Amino acid sequence: MKKLFSKVCLLGMTVLLVLAFSGCTAKPDSSSKKSDGKQVLKLNNGSEPTSFNPPIGFDAYSWNALNNLMEGLTRLGKDNSPHPAAASKWDVSPDGKTYTFHIRENAKWDNGDDLTAGDFEYAWKQLLNPKTASPAAFLGYLIKGGEAYNLNKGSADDVQVKAEDDKTLKVTLNAPQSYFLNMISNPAFFPVNKKVAEKDSKWYANAKTFVGNGPFKLASWKHDANMVFKKSSTYWDKKTVKLDEVDWAMVNDTNTEYQMYKTGELDVASVPPDLSDQLFKEGKVKVGQQAGTYFFSMNVKMKPFDNAKIRRAFALAVDNKKIVNYVVKQKNDPAYGFVSPGFKDPSGEDFRAHNGNLYKYDPKAAKKLLAEGMKEEGITKLPPVTLTYNTTDINKSIAETVQEMYKQNLGVSIKLANMEWNVYGVDQKRGKFQFSRGSFLADYGDPINFLENFITGMPMNSMQWSNKEYDRLLKEAKNEKDDTKRYALMYQAEKLLMKEMPLFPVYFYNQSELQSSKVKGIVRHPVGYMELKWATKSN
Amino acid sequence: MLRFIARRFFAMILTLWVIATLTFLLMHAIPGSPFNNLNGKVLSDAAVRNLETHYHIDKPLPIQYLIYLKSIATFTYGPSIKQPSQTVNDLLGRGFPVSFELGMWSLAVAVVSGVVLGIFAALKHNGFIDYLAMTIAVLGISIPNFVLATLLIQEFAVNLRLLPAGTWQGFAYMIMPVVALATGPMAIIARLIRSSMLEVLTQDYIRTAQAKGLSPFLIVTKHALKNALLPVVTVLGTLAASILTGTFVIEKIFAIPGMGKYFVDSINSRDYPVIMGTTMFYSALLIFMLFLVDIAYGWLDPRIKMGKEGD
Repeated sequence: MKKLFSKVCLLGMTVLLVLAFSGCTAKPDSSSKKSDGKQVLKLNNGSEPTSFNPPIGFDAYSWNALNNLMEGLTRLGKDNSPHPAAASKWDVSPDGKTYTFHIRENAKWDNGDDLTAGDFEYAWKQLLNPKTASPAAFLGYLIKGGEAYNLNKGSADDVQVKAEDDKTLKVTLNAPQSYFLNMISNPAFFPVNKKVAEKDSKWYANAKTFVGNGPFKLASWKHDANMVFKKSSTYWDKKTVKLDEVDWAMVNDTNTEYQMYKTGELDVASVPPDLSDQLFKEGKVKVGQQAGTYFFSMNVKMKPFDNAKIRRAFALAVDNKKIVNYVVKQKNDPAYGFVSPGFKDPSGEDFRAHNGNLYKYDPKAAKKLLAEGMKEEGITKLPPVTLTYNTTDINKSIAETVQEMYKQNLGVSIKLANMEWNVYGVDQKRGKFQFSRGSFLADYGDPINFLENFITGMPMNSMQWSNKEYDRLLKEAKNEKDDTKRYALMYQAEKLLMKEMPLFPVYFYNQSELQSSKVKGIVRHPVGYMELKWATKSN
Repeated sequence: MLRFIARRFFAMILTLWVIATLTFLLMHAIPGSPFNNLNGKVLSDAAVRNLETHYHIDKPLPIQYLIYLKSIATFTYGPSIKQPSQTVNDLLGRGFPVSFELGMWSLAVAVVSGVVLGIFAALKHNGFIDYLAMTIAVLGISIPNFVLATLLIQEFAVNLRLLPAGTWQGFAYMIMPVVALATGPMAIIARLIRSSMLEVLTQDYIRTAQAKGLSPFLIVTKHALKNALLPVVTVLGTLAASILTGTFVIEKIFAIPGMGKYFVDSINSRDYPVIMGTTMFYSALLIFMLFLVDIAYGWLDPRIKMGKEGD
């Protein structure tokens, strides 16, 4: 008996020992750190960044942070347009196709190395290298030879990015496109320190080996837990940077994030869905523009949506304003055109304002159009219609509202179906849905990014729509040097798209967050990533 | 004994192989691709092809299966698809210690408080303490840990400002997650201890001990408890494996960088290398824990023989 008891004791002691051992790994409490009057901004990244290798981390989790650690040839200013950054100036050839960038003499990497044109050439060719398998590679297709290289049909040497000398970079495009300067502010076009990368192919994976050239330096990075950015001492424009430190948490649960915001452990937080109504009503949410559209696609290869009048009827019968005000309730703008507001044409007019509302909610006209369309098709009863969406609460509520609107306004009963996101994405791309929910967020700041999605055969064109006139307008716009003419072509194209209506928009996305009153100057572009360069925090 | 261990070891390898094969078949049977919809962006076919080549997913399934078996045998699972700059070993290597630390504390708290609660409940059978202890136990079983976690945060972090709401940086950060995680297992253990204690206390050898004039404390701790522990040891194996490898919900709520999220996230994002890494890791640990439980049985109670007839 005694022996047995000692065995129990031994077992217990082993457990205690393991505990004591594991207790040793406890980390020191960092919240006890005093700020000493320093400006320390506390943000939440929501999740571990996908990758800090510029061509790989194609999402906000990576690029919101990376945008402050590195810098491209241009950087978007507070006015959302590109300003000289790593490049102090550039020359454009008369045909608008060749750009010669002059890199700032005092542009440096944070390990002290000089930032060279070669670093850009190296990085951009990495982006396009098929072996890199960058999901953002298509952004580089406008560079001559870029697409061929990425599709394994050309070589790296044929890509027209050349370092003429240490500080001069020459880039030739396929066609003159004024948004090129905007596009290269995107993190996909950030430089990579060639010397470092060739020595250590995983330089981007840890704080110790990471080198950047931006306003902040990556001081520490505990994977899946937190990151600390310190003001960079080598950044060419360091006197503009006011924050001493940025502490990034990685809290994935929006309720916890909100509670940490309430207790001051975070300065900025996203809006938790459960409290969204209340917080929006109380006016505590900061709302900013975001270039993107929530829409519904109608597959023109499937009945009844092969008929343009029926498509139009389905669009006109949905009251976008009601959806925005009573279902989404996040101060979004209802959409009556596909391109979101925020893009100025050469005369200074907003694209959306110029083209205006290209249709409006009109249940009477919708009913009439439906009758006409059915007559054209020679049918007296609509074939069954199923609206498919990827499973989220908001998509479900919107789909149910739309279903009800069709019942009331058209007397049509549609079915709803939902699917998990990954399955949905594959099937939608293959054009398997008759009627489905779509969303678009712009990758670069030009209306053409919205419109090019509906060229015949593009991956987003799940409605399988093909219109020769539309394809021609877009092709011309993509080759037009004169911006006034280019915008005229794009205006025409959007009107055609909304006349044929293979899709109808519902609302434009926005960015909403809670922000401490101590924090000022965080810039969030409609297209682009978070900017902390101008941010301040009062203690 | 040695023969027993050797036989069990062989059976463990076989079980793992079956699990590996099933996981492989199941994960490729889920529709959807890891690349078709990267973070909400629709990728072009060219980009998808480049990615598939990069991760060897373009090869025929039997070849992928062989690559997969080889990676299991050598413990090199390659890079995660969702976090390409990290290998699966990196993910497990940094997630598991955190989950293990949290799990160990929770397990210790659950076992100690559960045993104490169960003993008192059994000793004061049908008395006030029994009812109190069993009320706590029923509450512990029926309140889901994520509800408890949220309530704790609201009370101790937001209202009272005593503890930090989340993240993982030291002792103060552990208190709430440990409590939230330990309450359920504690309740289970308390109920098990109570019922087996009640049974043990009526046995002859306890009466003998009482007759010898031993103090009640000694009788309980020395004689009754070790036999009452057997059912607890039975559940402990499974419990330990699941708690130690992290719990998705608790880790998410408290923003703890453990490995719980990899189980769920990897399936949602079809991150094949991470799915197989986490599954194999969890299976191996679970099988090992059950093995330990079997050994502990014979150790605690010599009447249970191992390696002989029937086993």
